[in-house]
Amino acid sequence: MAMGVSLKNVKKSFGAVDVIHDVSIEIPKGDFAVFVGPSGCGKSTLLRMIAGLEETSGGRIEIDGKDVTDEEPADRGVAMVFQNYALYPHLTVYDNMAFSLRLAKAKKEEIREKVAEAARILQLTEHLAKRPAKLSGGQRQRVAIGRAIVRQPSVFLFDEPLSNLDAELRVQMRLELARLHRQIGATMIYVTHDQVEAMTLADDIFVLKDGWVQQAGSPLKLYDDPDNRFVGGFIGSPAMNFFAGEVSGGGGGRMEVRTEVGGKVFTAARRGEVSSGQKVTLGIRPEHLKLSEEGLRAKVDMVEQLGGVSYLHVKLEDGSNVVVERHGLREALEGQTVGLAADPDDILVFDQEGRRLR
Amino acid sequence: MARPNKTLRRNLIALSLVAPFTLTFLLVFAWPTFKVIQLSLTDAPLIGDGTWVGLQNYRELLDDRIFWVALKNNGYFLVLTIVPTTVLALLIALAVNRLRGWMQPFILAIFFLPYILPVSVVTLVWQWMLDFQFGVLQPMIEAIFGKRTAVFRDPTWVMPVIALVTIWWTNGFNVLLFLAGLRNIPTELYEAAALDGATPRQRFWRVTWPLLWPVTALVLTLQLILQLKLFDQVYLLSQGGPFNTSQVLLLLVYNEAFQQNNGGYASAIAMVLFVIILVVSVMQFQLLRIGRHR
Repeated sequence: MAMGVSLKNVKKSFGAVDVIHDVSIEIPKGDFAVFVGPSGCGKSTLLRMIAGLEETSGGRIEIDGKDVTDEEPADRGVAMVFQNYALYPHLTVYDNMAFSLRLAKAKKEEIREKVAEAARILQLTEHLAKRPAKLSGGQRQRVAIGRAIVRQPSVFLFDEPLSNLDAELRVQMRLELARLHRQIGATMIYVTHDQVEAMTLADDIFVLKDGWVQQAGSPLKLYDDPDNRFVGGFIGSPAMNFFAGEVSGGGGGRMEVRTEVGGKVFTAARRGEVSSGQKVTLGIRPEHLKLSEEGLRAKVDMVEQLGGVSYLHVKLEDGSNVVVERHGLREALEGQTVGLAADPDDILVFDQEGRRLR
Repeated sequence: MARPNKTLRRNLIALSLVAPFTLTFLLVFAWPTFKVIQLSLTDAPLIGDGTWVGLQNYRELLDDRIFWVALKNNGYFLVLTIVPTTVLALLIALAVNRLRGWMQPFILAIFFLPYILPVSVVTLVWQWMLDFQFGVLQPMIEAIFGKRTAVFRDPTWVMPVIALVTIWWTNGFNVLLFLAGLRNIPTELYEAAALDGATPRQRFWRVTWPLLWPVTALVLTLQLILQLKLFDQVYLLSQGGPFNTSQVLLLLVYNEAFQQNNGGYASAIAMVLFVIILVVSVMQFQLLRIGRHR
């Protein structure tokens, strides 16, 4: 498959501080890729390096197979949508969108056609004569996208584009972005700290932490099969529950782990080498925890009732919080003591360094 | 009846808040202005009353050659200072804005330092530097123009040099205004412009310049008002000479009032300057505002 963007051993340091350590990723042409991670993980820096707004300290950046590591931002065939839109406040919506075409000395007729087309796609036609100050947040965001579209770049870069919008608008714009990607089919790279945006938009997610790519793959691959404890905990909402424990026995494709708190034995499918007595962490998603009489003792602290789904916030003996997802729950469970259990195939095991034991 | 009471109380509070300013304004601005207008219609000396002469003082002004010379010199001084100081301040601000770390406040302080000096110190410094015999700048003048020049006693040199001293003295404040304006332009706009393919020159003319225009208009207007009120530097450096080539309106007011004891006539000149400043600055500000909306 042709590559839209590929990074080869890319590094970035500010003085003595390394913010990006040796990142190599491949994003196929037409892909919707999402860089996700907590703040300070280097995802925005990586995006800005692809845009050419940050210099690369080492490695190679290729766009459509061409080495652009030392190219100017304008010569890379990329367009970027900024978190706070970065619209020119003194220009109308039309002039904002026409800005790059005018600099490129495009013909008046061509400019008018391209801007009109972008305005049509983004439903901005009636706002073309207005200045950004007269627009709502969502409209401004669309102008910023429109400014990117008219350039017909081979790669669109989005830097947390929805984080300044309110919750409802964010959901709506998310759908519009997904639709836009289907419509124009260009490669898109999207940076967010919101794993819900990552899950809903991405063809491929790249999870970053401390300047390293922790794992790359489709949203469901990352959800079902995380490589490490960080990815398991970061992807999914509510987050995965973790239980510290110690291997107490096993055999026949199974291993038994006794939890530190409550001393309850969970059986997980055995993968890889583990020895008896090894410290491990169990990861179980809220929807995989079952209530069972014989399970790990916990007390129901709070219930978030959403109608179809409810989230039980239960506390273990040491006061640590665990979330259990239930469907169709109608009884009041607050204050009751329950037992937690899970199927062996639904339990992920991580070693002490947080690496997944498969 | 609680409501009218409440309204009354609120009005009283409002009045008490506005009163100090209003009283001060009436006492130190409106009343003196009124007195000056009144004085300008009499033949009063500096102290004491005079007799009513109507518009006689103003009629005399029209025939006063020195008045027209002073007016022309004020105009010449505006040309020498306003645009040059604005352009210079913008260039310095652009350069300072590019500096990082401790260099930025350090360099800014150097440019701002003259502004905090009193005018008498400023003029002394320049008088020393430009002294005909011992001035450190005289060898430079000699190298460029072939001979030493007593600049404050030379009809050609006097106004440009006073303009130079004035710009040196007051420019730091304009740099500060421009710097504040530049810092208000978000970095992302420049990044967006870079991605849009704008060259550094295009980034300046299409992003910086239009977004900085309100500050530029402010600087131009403040400068216009300030430079029309030129007095101290001329009084200290050249006393209006030689041959009235640095005579300006405020100096004329001073001479007429405090040297010739012509209070009424001096008031008439002051009124003319007052009206000129009012009209020109309002006109300029309006023009600049139109410029912004175009």
